[in-house]
Amino acid sequence: MTVEVRPLGDKCNIKCRYCYQEGIRTAGNVPTRYDLDAIMATLDRLAEPFSLFGGEIMMTRRPDLERLMQLGFDRHGGVGMQTNGTLIEERDIELFRKYRVRIGISIDGPGPLNDARWAGSLPATRRATARIEAAIETLCREGMPPNVIVTLNRINASPDRLAVLCDWIGFLGSLGVRKLRLHLLEQDETEGGEGLALTAQENLVALRRLRQLEQELSSVEFDIFAEMAAMLRGDDARTSCVFHACDPYATRAVVGVESDGRLGNCGRTNKDGVTHLRASREAFERQLSLYRTPQSDDGCQDCRFFLACKGNCPGTAIGGDWRKRSIDCPVWFGLFEDIETELQANGETVISRSERRADLEAKMIAAWSIGDNPTLHSLLQPAEAT
Amino acid sequence: MTSTWLTWPRPPLGATPREPVVAKAAAQRISFSGPQARALWQPRLDRLRDVAIAIELEMVRREHIPATVLWTGYDGIEALTERARAIGLEAKPVKASLGYAADWTQEAWIDEPKRLLDYAFLIGAAALDVAMADPAAEDVVKTAIRFGYPACCAESWANHLRRGGSDSLASLLAREDNAAMPAHTALGVLGLGPVRHAPCSAGCVATRDRSRAFLDLGRQLGFIEEMSWLEEIACWTVNASLVNGIAEITTAAFRCTWLSDEGPSQPRPAAPAPRPEKRKAAAITAAGSADILAELGIGFESAGFASPFAMRSRFSAVVWEQTAALRRATTAVHVGCGDGLLLQLLAQTKPKLKLYGTEEDTALAEAARQRLGASSPVLAGASIEALAALSRLVPGGIDIAFVDPERLGDRDALVAISAIARSIIVIGTDRSLHRFRDMDNLAATMGLALLPGRAARVSATLSPAMDRLH
Repeated sequence: MTVEVRPLGDKCNIKCRYCYQEGIRTAGNVPTRYDLDAIMATLDRLAEPFSLFGGEIMMTRRPDLERLMQLGFDRHGGVGMQTNGTLIEERDIELFRKYRVRIGISIDGPGPLNDARWAGSLPATRRATARIEAAIETLCREGMPPNVIVTLNRINASPDRLAVLCDWIGFLGSLGVRKLRLHLLEQDETEGGEGLALTAQENLVALRRLRQLEQELSSVEFDIFAEMAAMLRGDDARTSCVFHACDPYATRAVVGVESDGRLGNCGRTNKDGVTHLRASREAFERQLSLYRTPQSDDGCQDCRFFLACKGNCPGTAIGGDWRKRSIDCPVWFGLFEDIETELQANGETVISRSERRADLEAKMIAAWSIGDNPTLHSLLQPAEAT
Repeated sequence: MTSTWLTWPRPPLGATPREPVVAKAAAQRISFSGPQARALWQPRLDRLRDVAIAIELEMVRREHIPATVLWTGYDGIEALTERARAIGLEAKPVKASLGYAADWTQEAWIDEPKRLLDYAFLIGAAALDVAMADPAAEDVVKTAIRFGYPACCAESWANHLRRGGSDSLASLLAREDNAAMPAHTALGVLGLGPVRHAPCSAGCVATRDRSRAFLDLGRQLGFIEEMSWLEEIACWTVNASLVNGIAEITTAAFRCTWLSDEGPSQPRPAAPAPRPEKRKAAAITAAGSADILAELGIGFESAGFASPFAMRSRFSAVVWEQTAALRRATTAVHVGCGDGLLLQLLAQTKPKLKLYGTEEDTALAEAARQRLGASSPVLAGASIEALAALSRLVPGGIDIAFVDPERLGDRDALVAISAIARSIIVIGTDRSLHRFRDMDNLAATMGLALLPGRAARVSATLSPAMDRLH
């Protein structure tokens, strides 16, 4: 479970054209104040490592931010932080070091390649991008290389720009960045995002090229490809939320601690401008439905990658309706096929081609039917070991 | 939270409902729209469920209906049977269904599997015939009417059951009926009342009459406030939909979902979802890769960088590090400005800054002019001549000069810069930092004194002690 602390909810200092939180901001559902004691009490109760998140977490008052960092350091030896990097200042570097803050920075590319992460005007956008680039280089030079999150879109990964993006990633590797997370653009919230999405084919081309790049750059790792391979091996212990049968009513993988200390859901599933609270019970209607719904009706019936993919993130569902499979299905399917082929060529067993697939699916369906969500890893263990 | 649940709808029930205790499933899957909504409506919904049971049992006691079905966990059985007995009714078990794993205790899992089940009890006057709620196919309509269904709804519900359905909302949503879904009909699944049977249509008049009777009986029994809440709910706008066998209801206060009947997928368009207005943004323009590379920066090799990305990143870091110095400055020059990238980044950071550049390479000087526009003069020629021209152009001097000491060639250029600049900021390029490791080594090797700062910095202000350069 990832616990995301969001003192200011979705409040942000920039307005990325494709941001999945824009609906919430447009609806005015952004807190103007927060109760730090309530937030810290909830974190005490959860007793889980947490990440500082937003909106933009660096808009939080520094003394309060430091208290949260200190709590994470004291209880868990450190704290994660996801930021757009534009508000990082020189004085923050020592805070990051002191409290062992693991920083993730979102940026789609250098200079003009980051223009989708809009800051109100082109000069302001470029200024913000320059600050992010500066923060990445500084953190690397200070021995705290951040993880970098890149959202693929038409401005940074269209066929005529992909090579530039790849070269830049190579540069990040030379700076010291080791991990990159790739996101496909979520296509449902803002009109500003219209025209930014790549086609499924373009996304697939981009991801295939980036996967190739990962093999060329020994120092840089893209989380997503390793996770997909792990899922195909049935090793889902450390893979990220999109592969874990997410319930949009009670997201298990991501739990938000909101401004008043209450628990919230992952914001990717909020499609109507409302930050819904968590339901009291987690359930798996989505996966149960997708499993038996024909692909022509936006389900996943008979897909051999279902156990690995599970319809992917409900926040990316077709038409914004969490009951349907991910709109990015063709992209994930193509990549799963690539990885499946390679694993098999290396003599590895993959669950998508395993004789046990039907049995595993039946066990998973049975578990979901009673509200349980076992790991694939546990289902694959020999009976005597379980 | 209540531990006893009314069956939804009243019998007769489908043979294989997708959720064994639909009302419980839907209630547990409520996701409130905010803390205020939850604070107000969660206790009200809990209370309304309890009150609905009381009203339903009273209807049985008064023989308005012959029986009702209640679900409870193993630990609630004794209380339920005792409650029925206290009002002269009998409770008989009719079925059991596996509950939800999240509710199971370790002890129950190992030693008491009976605690993993939910139990359905038929409650009616003695001697109770448990078959009454589970009639033969030909008696379904008759049974439905006995359980309080209007004739039109009994017929419609029987048809839905014959088709293998089990969820009354699914039977409504599957039809081509664009009338707005009344809140009481949509929310009947939560077991709150006042609608307790499966209505034949969203606008069924007989259903409205039955609802009225439920509310009246509630008031008779003293549940005045609770019935007013139900009246309030009646005015809500609800959005109900059934997609791939999953039903979802959305109101302003909450949304809830449950596994419903499989059926045609058609989101109901009756009440538009309250989606926020889309935000307009400036049009997206995308240049090709050649333009992008030019924009990222050209001439990086002569400027001492490994790539255009490195040059842009370093210059961005320089601007970031010098934020405080720039705040005080009104004029700045980049000596050896290449294609003008650093000056452009400075302009973006502080648009009111008056900027100047000098560049020996005529092609790069031209590129800088293109990048910066006419308001930021770029002086061509060797450093010394360009600086002399600059001092004539700005007789009052310049606040900040950015320099790569390696590119200056000789010390005379640095002297010339210090003659016109009040502050000199030394930039570490890839080439110089690779050679000298850090700014302090770079400065020491070149005989420069820098103001102190972070060891890992990439720019530094020349110490005023360097006045001797003059």
